[in-house]
Amino acid sequence: METWLEGIVALILVFGGAFLLIGSIGLVRLPDIYTRLHGPTKATTLGIASLLLVSAVVSSVLQGTISVHELLITLFLLITAPVSANMIAKTAMHHDLPAWKRTQGQELIEPASRQAAPDDHQEERDTKLP
Amino acid sequence: MLNDLIWIPLLPLLGTLVPLFASRFSRSACAFLTAGLPALALVLVLQLAPQVFEGETVRQSFGWIPQMGLELAFRLDGLALLFTLLILGIGLLVVLYARYYLSEKDSMGKFYAYLILFMFAMLGVVMSDNLIQLWMFWELTSISSFLLISFWGHKTEARKGARMALTITGAGGLALLAGVLLIGNVVGSYSLHDVLASGDLIREHAAYPVILVLVLLGAFTKSAQFPFHFWLPHAMAAPTPVSAYLHSATMVKAGIFLMARMYPVLSGTELWFLIVSMTGLATLLLGAYVALFKHDLKGLLAYSTVSHLGLITLLLGMGTELAAVAALFHIINHATFKASLFMAAGIIDHESGSRDMRQLNGLWKYMPYTATLAMVAAAAMAGVPLLNGFLSKEMFFAETLHQDSLGSLSWMVPVFATLGGVFSVAYSLRFIHDVFFNGEPINLPKTPHEPPRYMRVPVEILVALCLLVGVLPTFVIGDLLYTASAATLQGAVPEYSLAIWHGFNFPLLMSFIALAGGIAVYVNRKELFQFQAQFPENDPKLVFEAIIQMIHKQITRFMELAENGSLQRYSYMMLSLAMVMMAKPLLDLNATAGHRPQIPVDAISITGAVLLAIGALATVIWNRQRMVALVALSVVGLIVSLMFAKFSAPDLALTQLAVEVVTVILLMLALFFLPQTTPKESSPKRVARDLGIAAVIGGVIGTISYAMMTRPLESISTFFLENSKTGGGGTNVVNVILVDFRGFDTLGEITVLGIAALGIFKLIARMRLYMPASDGDGRPWSKDSHPLMLSVVSQSLLPLALLVSAYIFLRGHNMPGGGFIAGLITSVAIIQQYIAHGVDWIKARMKLDYQLMIGSGITIAALTGLGSWFFDRPFLTSWFDHFHLPLVGEFELASAMLFDLGVYLTVVGATMLILANLGKLTTSERPVLKEHD
Amino acid sequence: MLSWAINFTAAMICIALILNLWRMVQGPSIQDRILALDTMCINSIALIILYGINMGTGLYFEAALLIAMMGFVSTSALCKYLLRGDLIE
Repeated sequence: METWLEGIVALILVFGGAFLLIGSIGLVRLPDIYTRLHGPTKATTLGIASLLLVSAVVSSVLQGTISVHELLITLFLLITAPVSANMIAKTAMHHDLPAWKRTQGQELIEPASRQAAPDDHQEERDTKLP
Repeated sequence: MLNDLIWIPLLPLLGTLVPLFASRFSRSACAFLTAGLPALALVLVLQLAPQVFEGETVRQSFGWIPQMGLELAFRLDGLALLFTLLILGIGLLVVLYARYYLSEKDSMGKFYAYLILFMFAMLGVVMSDNLIQLWMFWELTSISSFLLISFWGHKTEARKGARMALTITGAGGLALLAGVLLIGNVVGSYSLHDVLASGDLIREHAAYPVILVLVLLGAFTKSAQFPFHFWLPHAMAAPTPVSAYLHSATMVKAGIFLMARMYPVLSGTELWFLIVSMTGLATLLLGAYVALFKHDLKGLLAYSTVSHLGLITLLLGMGTELAAVAALFHIINHATFKASLFMAAGIIDHESGSRDMRQLNGLWKYMPYTATLAMVAAAAMAGVPLLNGFLSKEMFFAETLHQDSLGSLSWMVPVFATLGGVFSVAYSLRFIHDVFFNGEPINLPKTPHEPPRYMRVPVEILVALCLLVGVLPTFVIGDLLYTASAATLQGAVPEYSLAIWHGFNFPLLMSFIALAGGIAVYVNRKELFQFQAQFPENDPKLVFEAIIQMIHKQITRFMELAENGSLQRYSYMMLSLAMVMMAKPLLDLNATAGHRPQIPVDAISITGAVLLAIGALATVIWNRQRMVALVALSVVGLIVSLMFAKFSAPDLALTQLAVEVVTVILLMLALFFLPQTTPKESSPKRVARDLGIAAVIGGVIGTISYAMMTRPLESISTFFLENSKTGGGGTNVVNVILVDFRGFDTLGEITVLGIAALGIFKLIARMRLYMPASDGDGRPWSKDSHPLMLSVVSQSLLPLALLVSAYIFLRGHNMPGGGFIAGLITSVAIIQQYIAHGVDWIKARMKLDYQLMIGSGITIAALTGLGSWFFDRPFLTSWFDHFHLPLVGEFELASAMLFDLGVYLTVVGATMLILANLGKLTTSERPVLKEHD
Repeated sequence: MLSWAINFTAAMICIALILNLWRMVQGPSIQDRILALDTMCINSIALIILYGINMGTGLYFEAALLIAMMGFVSTSALCKYLLRGDLIE
């Protein structure tokens, strides 16, 4: 591997690792569940994406062909991470978990634990369409 | 090809299926078709008969596991010929008889199928040339007889009688198995050919008494000898054709057959004489005496059968060659007259609606034809001259005079024999006089009349045989008896004469005493009945049921002690036992650490170890907070699969990951139905005990692991590594082992998996569960059943997941993956759809029949295995080759991939059948059992 | 240079994993623990990818892919249980 490429790759690697660490620090340090969701979903996803990029580049160089299967994991994680976060947030609101005083949108938590989701009857409406 | 011996039992086996299909036609057609294959078998037997008459033993065998002495071997010698003719001949007559006997309500197909199954089993017993095989057929006769006795399962006595017969004969069968195994041990072969040749070896062996007692236990239980005779009268709850066939002509003769078969091997000793002849004598007397007092027509015949079986046993026990000949002769005679009597009793029952001799009187007026037939047969049973019973009975009397093994008490044998003859005449007379004469019928349910024409034909044939044998014995069965005797004795047959008239001699006198005494007893029966009435009624059925219930109670008590439903207790007992068993080898191990160089520790491993340890601890500590424990458990699973990956076991890592998530989902599905609140803590004492055990076990397992990992290990894995590419055509050793080297194991495993899944499905379908309305903290469930984002994203991930699964499946042979993992991934992907969309959504979009998937999976795997037979290779030999296609390039095809497809389908089917149906319990699609019948 | 970066990144991921574990043990709510588990899955993927880069092999790719899939499925199943109790309805 050429030195300049190795340098760039090493840099991205460390960059990714740093974001993974930052995401996890966020998970530990942030004050309530709603803010804690930010760390893993954003920073960690960016970190893992960087690592996968490095992996793709390294294996492409080593095998002499372009390696794309790392893209599959990236795609997968990019799609699922927000949904996981959404589901966790939903359960947190359903359980009416306490929020830190500066967390925004607190007024939504209490009603959310009482109400049905707005799209509960989505399928019924779909079937009524001509 | 039909000359092969194996076709004789095989045709009836195929014939078992015929009535099941033929029962949709008319009754006569069904009977006719059912009789077809057994009739063909009879033709085969007759075709082979001349060979046998010339003294030849026709044999045929197929190796099964030759190393263990297991083979499929048949022989047809004189003894087997005699019994084969009885079984097939009377069997066919019974088929004809049953056509008229069974009512419209009875399932004719089922009855015939059982009957022919029994015929097959019985043919197997008498034709086996291998003792283990003989035993197997022996047990099959018990089972088919159980089915036949319990044919009218709505009656209590049928069920109880069937159970009793199965218990007694089955237990005897187990004793026989033990005896057979001992014989095999002594002789070194299970082949009858070898065993028959080593009579002296067995008789002089120290284990001879044990062998003898075990084999005789088998024979006595089957042939209803005292004190095991009581099952036979209770088996009379069976339909009468069954009684005529099984309980007079064939099955009860199996025990006699066994004694005759083992005669050259086991007889000739003092012990044999004592046990066999004394048992026979006791049975003879008891049966004859009790038969007189039975008011039930079939009960009388049953005890008379017991008595005659005792007579044959006594003859075999005497140990002289002539006695054995007489025994064989009486087997034939008894089969003919007793089967016809049973059939006649059945006709009487059928046409008059009663079997009670206190009601049945004066039937001569109503059915003179049947009466004549029954009277001739009964006379044969009594031993009236010019009938076959007379001949064999006279031979019997002659033999009792000639024996002297009891020393000075030998005179008692002929006296008791004559006494038996007296009662035999008396009950025969009662059968004739009470039923056909003696006034008018009393309170009969219907007016008796003659049976349909063809219902009488079997009786006519049998009675004609009685007469023919009685008048022209040598001409009719001389050859058959001679070859059968030669085969039984395995040596020279003594001189004997089958003539009717031997001049005035002692046996003739005994016959006349018996006749005169019998008449005298019958005339004075009132006094005798009064005398008998003084004894308390002793019903063996009650005794038997009491014993069964006592055993049941004891076992229940033991089960309650050992299996009380507490999982803690099971693991406590199991682990303690394991500890005891491990103690010795561990104490012998002098050093914990071995000499293998240790791998340096790195930071990642330490991190993994910390995560693993704390995750495991957290699971234990929070085991009462189910969700926390589940999450902690998932951490453990994750780290374990990471460790697998690190120590180069990617297949295991993949499997672990998939199994982990399936398990967690399964747990949550089940947890939903369990109480949502925390159960109470164990007592401190118990916590201390459990902690102690856990600590010790943990320490021990840790020590063992450490000791093993620090020692160099020679394992079989090098063989697999070297041979996987050349032998199985794949570079992924794990997969090649699964689908090729140990494909047979895998086939068994997926079959078990399929069965387990079906079993769980059945259990789930019976469940009625309580659905909690709120979670453990009293919060009502959210109203949003299918969160929108989850649904949409899950749906779009399904093709991606299926793609991954297909990819992992296809590369499995050479790279980590394979059918099992791919199956789990597919299941997880489908479950995700269930979770995100619900059952209704899936039902509208995916038409998946999980049972069908399991079935086709196992079928594909098995057929792949069978495929190798077409190339003359052993089962499951795999095949692979490399091909070249333009554009695609080099690629490999292996039969193992097809096998793997079977594994894949079974895994998906089984996992989904369990999980989806457990989930569906709360929906309108819940699995329900469709009630048949 | 790359090997140094790999070591350094590995150290950071290990610290991240320990931090996740801390959150998993600490809670306080069950959602926190699920979130910690989810993050732990992603960090494990990172570790496996890193291992692959270090060894120069693609053998571990499936394990990483599968962790990603299974992590998502188990997170959504756990959340569904908390929301509805009934996983399949």
